[in-house]
Amino acid sequence: MNVVCTDRLTKQYGHTTALDALDLTIGEGEVFGYLGPNGAGKSTTIALLLGLIRSTSGTASIFGLDVWRDAPAIHRRVAYVPSESDLWPSLTGAEVLEFLGNVHGSVDRVYRDELVERFDLVLDKKIRALSHGNRQKVVLIGALASRPELLLLDEPTTGLDPLMEQVFRACVREARDRGQTVLLSTHVLSEVEAVCDRVAMLRAGRVIETGRLDALRGLAALHVVAQLHSPPPDVSRLAGVNNVVIDGTTIECDVAGSMEPLLRKLAAVGVRHMTTREPSLEELFIARYGELQPASTDER
Amino acid sequence: MTASTSAPTPMSAHAPRYRTEVALARRAFKQVWISATLWALLFGVTIAASALNYTSTFPDRATRLKLAATTGRDRGMAMLLGPVSAIDTVGGYTVYKCFVFLTAIGAVWGLLIATRLLRGEEDAGRWQLVLAGGTRAGRATVATLTALFAGVGVVFVGTTAITLLAGRNPDVGFGAGPTLLYGLSLMIAPTVFVAVGALTSQLGRTRRVATGLGMAVFGITSMLRMIADSGESTKWLLWTTPFGWTERMRPFGANDPRPLLLALAVVAVVLIGATRLASTRDAGAGVVATSDVSRLRPFGLASPVRLAARLDASVLSTWCVGAIAAGFAFGVVANVASGVVSSSVSDTLRRFGVHGGSFVLRYFGIAFLLVATVVALLPVSEIAAAADDESTGRLVHVLAQPVRRTAMLGGRVALAAVAIVTTGLVTGVAAWLGAKTQGVDPGLGRMAGAGLNTVPTALVVLGIGVLVLAIAPRAATGTVYGVVIASLVIDLLTTLVSGTSWLDRVSLFHYMALAPSEHTDARTVVLTLTAAVLLCVLALTFFQRRDLDTA
Repeated sequence: MNVVCTDRLTKQYGHTTALDALDLTIGEGEVFGYLGPNGAGKSTTIALLLGLIRSTSGTASIFGLDVWRDAPAIHRRVAYVPSESDLWPSLTGAEVLEFLGNVHGSVDRVYRDELVERFDLVLDKKIRALSHGNRQKVVLIGALASRPELLLLDEPTTGLDPLMEQVFRACVREARDRGQTVLLSTHVLSEVEAVCDRVAMLRAGRVIETGRLDALRGLAALHVVAQLHSPPPDVSRLAGVNNVVIDGTTIECDVAGSMEPLLRKLAAVGVRHMTTREPSLEELFIARYGELQPASTDER
Repeated sequence: MTASTSAPTPMSAHAPRYRTEVALARRAFKQVWISATLWALLFGVTIAASALNYTSTFPDRATRLKLAATTGRDRGMAMLLGPVSAIDTVGGYTVYKCFVFLTAIGAVWGLLIATRLLRGEEDAGRWQLVLAGGTRAGRATVATLTALFAGVGVVFVGTTAITLLAGRNPDVGFGAGPTLLYGLSLMIAPTVFVAVGALTSQLGRTRRVATGLGMAVFGITSMLRMIADSGESTKWLLWTTPFGWTERMRPFGANDPRPLLLALAVVAVVLIGATRLASTRDAGAGVVATSDVSRLRPFGLASPVRLAARLDASVLSTWCVGAIAAGFAFGVVANVASGVVSSSVSDTLRRFGVHGGSFVLRYFGIAFLLVATVVALLPVSEIAAAADDESTGRLVHVLAQPVRRTAMLGGRVALAAVAIVTTGLVTGVAAWLGAKTQGVDPGLGRMAGAGLNTVPTALVVLGIGVLVLAIAPRAATGTVYGVVIASLVIDLLTTLVSGTSWLDRVSLFHYMALAPSEHTDARTVVLTLTAAVLLCVLALTFFQRRDLDTA
């Protein structure tokens, strides 16, 4: 059964298209990674799904209900975490959790106490005195403790330290094990790899890749920089080698798949020094889809 | 690939000194120059209209002497509308007519722009961004203050220029020197309150607290001026309040510049204090310590509307207390106003459209017009809080829950409406109590009714504010201020300038009976309330349909 379903969902702001004919389905109990660079339309999608903004065209439903018309009914079964949590500065963390729990109507207080401990959150401090990461923890705990059927998480780990990111990932995995559905919007590849079953990649308001995580891994390419003893050989015809740049005796390129053919070629002229690193998401996009055109979307 | 052979020198190495401060001052000036220009126009036009109106109403020496002979004895009106001095001259009359109105507006404007550009920027986190650049808190504060005083300078230049133009009329005949001094006297209030705002911005941790502290100073200094004008024995109090300094300068009369020096000295001391505090305190913190740790208080956490009630209670209470204090003060003054009634005062009341009842009741009719202004501004806090919730993203946390938009906004509207009704009623009772303490009894029921009479107009203001909030949230607060102030200005202008009564229909206060002097017209009240309800319903409909500001 599909929990989330969109059909040619489009959002325009004047002449700017923030989201362009999005077709998306997320099944029950699935952790769905929603990837894309800044301004790709991830937050717009979530705002549409929450009924905070209206679509220009197309439809979206959650649990079979219309996201705009039936928003309050949907929200009883949904929890949301934005990337920046601007909360009420004069309330304490405990008061914000109490308020969110009361308004949502369902809260597992025992689990909430457990989450407070796991996220190492001080509850009696006022929001204005909390760091960005700690504010984020308050909203995360509030969302997770309501044990919703669907979690809409929009770059939820912004501001969290690596230790807390691990706690967050564990919580998402536990949610999946309990049968909860998660939509995780992010631009952190490692986060997606750690918790997601399926992903969609978004660019300039359009989905450019969707499928199982393996499909994403197939896109991955290593960025290689090698300093050689003599001018580099021609490697551009090798399988999986792209974006070759030569500067004197230094060669840079991206390699998808096996490294062996490249290493053989380079070893033939003598390698003085070589480094490799995983590409950023943006580099991956460039490698896979060519130079990014000027974005047609605003930061949304 | 092109390799760089030499890295460019960091930009900061070539940056001129004080570049950051200059940029900061420019940005701050950009934020105030429009309102400064508008106030300059308003000040200038008000003064010019008053002066020209005087020359046509009192064209000869005899009528002017008669006016002076009668008006001079009315201490009650002097307390309300300002000092009466040299009223047999165009200049003296103009100063008298414009005193309370222009000094009060100047003071509030000065305070609001100072707290907005100092504490408001810090509240929003932009100040910290500035301090991360090539400046320090003290220097950044000085740069912002320079821009704020440049804004005051715009008001001064505009006001003085228009007054000089009006003064070229042979009947008016204002000299350049006294006009300049008059312009300077009117700038005392905005200048002092910019300084007060700068200081309270260091004391309070939020813009709301800083503005609240500044408004308290405004209330106290206004009250001091009123007490000072209540008798000869209290006249010395004029030296303790910026409004008294303005009064004591007596432009077009004694032309005494000494209070100006006192004002400058006080402003300098306050500014040095504010700048020092800005330099020594932590960014984001206030000098007045507030605890960051608190136990859980469940009050107001059950629903969004209850939370709004909890968070807005202090501001709504402050408005309510302010209105009650004003009502009580007007009540106390009723004793003086019940003395000898002069023809000039009767004329003034007639111009305001007050015709019926005894002089005390007619006096209260005018007093409650001022109370109505305070009550009508009460929705500002609720509208501003709702707009702030949306622009900061807090509203998203609420509406991502199973909460209906209409219920949420409707609840806030109801909250503001309750505050308006309560304030109106209690202010009427406070005015009765004030009068009663002085042995004057206008009747509890009548005065409570006069207080409630201010409610329908305030509800229309609320409706307008909510409607704008539902369509363009960022414009809502400014619209409410604009509607109320414009209504008051129009109401006052139409009493000053002959042949402008048609304009009065634009003012919301035109549709409010000047109770208790006038009987409240039930049909008008019903129509006003209907308009308020329709505006609110329209607002809820729009709010239900529009995108939230999620940017």
